[in-house]
Amino acid sequence: MQTRRSFIKLGAGAAAIGALAPLTVIANSSDIKWDEEHEIVIVGSGFAGLAAAVEAGKLGAKDIVVFEKLGVYGGNSTLNAGQACFANTDLQKQLGIEDSAELMVQDQLKSGRGYASEELLKHSAELGPYIYQFTKDCGCVYRDHIINTGGTSATRSHQVVERSGAGFIRPMLKTARSYGVKTKIRHKFEQLITAKDGRVLGIQIRKGYHFEHEDSGKLINVKAEKGVLIATGGFGANVSFRQALDPNLGADVGCTNARGATGDGLIAMLAEGAMPVHLSFIQSGPWASPDEGGFGYGAGFSLYNFPHSVAIDRSTGQRFMNETADRKTRADLEVQRRDKDGKPNPALLIAPKHEATKDPSMANVLRYDVAWEFDSVEAIAKHFDVPLNPLKQQIDDWNKYVKDGEDPQFGKRMNMSSGIYLTAPFIVQRLWPKVHYCQGGIQINAKAEVIAAKTGEKIPGLYAAGEVSGGVHGVSRLGGCSTPECMAFGVTAARSLMKA
Amino acid sequence: MKKFNTLLVLVLGACLAMSVQAREKRDYHEMVYDSGCKTCHDQGLKAFPSDDSCLQCHDIAELAEQTKREGHDALQNPHDSMHYGQEAPCMECHGEHTPKKAICMDCHNFKYPKFKYEHQ
Repeated sequence: MQTRRSFIKLGAGAAAIGALAPLTVIANSSDIKWDEEHEIVIVGSGFAGLAAAVEAGKLGAKDIVVFEKLGVYGGNSTLNAGQACFANTDLQKQLGIEDSAELMVQDQLKSGRGYASEELLKHSAELGPYIYQFTKDCGCVYRDHIINTGGTSATRSHQVVERSGAGFIRPMLKTARSYGVKTKIRHKFEQLITAKDGRVLGIQIRKGYHFEHEDSGKLINVKAEKGVLIATGGFGANVSFRQALDPNLGADVGCTNARGATGDGLIAMLAEGAMPVHLSFIQSGPWASPDEGGFGYGAGFSLYNFPHSVAIDRSTGQRFMNETADRKTRADLEVQRRDKDGKPNPALLIAPKHEATKDPSMANVLRYDVAWEFDSVEAIAKHFDVPLNPLKQQIDDWNKYVKDGEDPQFGKRMNMSSGIYLTAPFIVQRLWPKVHYCQGGIQINAKAEVIAAKTGEKIPGLYAAGEVSGGVHGVSRLGGCSTPECMAFGVTAARSLMKA
Repeated sequence: MKKFNTLLVLVLGACLAMSVQAREKRDYHEMVYDSGCKTCHDQGLKAFPSDDSCLQCHDIAELAEQTKREGHDALQNPHDSMHYGQEAPCMECHGEHTPKKAICMDCHNFKYPKFKYEHQ
């Protein structure tokens, strides 16, 4: 008779066998039993995956499939402010904004602190105006106002009217389907299937997968005639993985990402010998609020208001940063706001209501208790226990900077806040960074081909685009610069695949 | 031996029945339970039902109409949202045997007062 103990032993044995199983399947193509075959196989339905699907459709591919792990499409791409930095667009010209791909690359190289790839940034920036038109052709609708994002020397962040990535994803999904692209939810990528010569033949995928139920569904083998594009996004939501790379990013740090951002695609490509780049460069969003989950509404409010608002340390009543510096600069400074016991004491973003009210984000943050209205500096000081006189002095000083068009305190670019004085009533939101973006990933070249660590050469049949790729942005990515890059490399991967 | 096998069947049967009984149920689905597990579990009893399973009785367009919101809140309709339109499968937010919360709540402090069987 089987005892409970022997049953447990058997279970442990089975688990050990599982652990020893190789992460990749290496085989002669004739040995594999294929359950499905497609011309182009795309894993992930975010910006990169859908842009590739649409471009491949335009280029005449007849059989394209997009697999999505979750029950809903768009992954992390549908959860953001819907901004994309493009340089040299018609809209910029109409608004009298002078800009160029070169300038955009220079801004990004600066934020990358010597680690960014000039070649890949240049490739992406030069494709910008094409991507801008491409999204419009898909039915995306842009606001006629372009917004400022941190670390940029020209106003170039084009935003869809929904002020959310959903304003890109849903029209792109619809367009992809109009080209006959097959889109499938609950299909989790498990591993690459590779020939003995290293060429990627297809993928093993778990069909009918339910998130966090790792044994759900069944494994099927999918053959890719032209190649496989991995566009599975980052690993921000995978706490143990991210904490191994950056010990500061444990479970107590929030995250803006979709729940599926667990790095499965990245891990599978590493197992296949892809070159890892900059995995420890993990970016936190300086516009996040600790008073809601994920990306939420607070980010939109901060993004709109940072140029004409002040961020205040609650223990000093003083500013502590340039509110429009690059993300890393701001997130690093925000996370240092602590009380005397070292506990988080999130900074306050104080915005003038007369300006904040011009953007719909204000109604959202007020309604869902992410920000609050105050009719005087005294009321803010009392509610948040901030020393009153330094705060008053700081606001007076700030208004002087607005008048003079110069910020001697932190060197903020003041032409974004000309004439916008910080006067009551005020809208106040708390700021605390959340893990947002992984600059690191596997290495790709300007054809979106994945590079092998062992040889420095491409892995035949394997392409990657979007956040799963690394080394593009270096230490810190600028706001609004992932969306266009995801799409540019998605489009690039499709072009390479169609030539394969 | 035969006697032993019969006993085993009985014991196993009882375990199976208990495991089902121990599960949470939604009162308003009592009728479905009367028709048997396979009514929903169309992919075998050990697997999640297919995403079409709930749609045997429920219609997404009708649900979207029922949970319609006006003006500013229109895009927060959980059955027709800004992010996912009418495409979010039922099981992303609803659990029959386990409590769940709406996927929107991952990021937003929305109020869905009529939503039942939420966590907390």
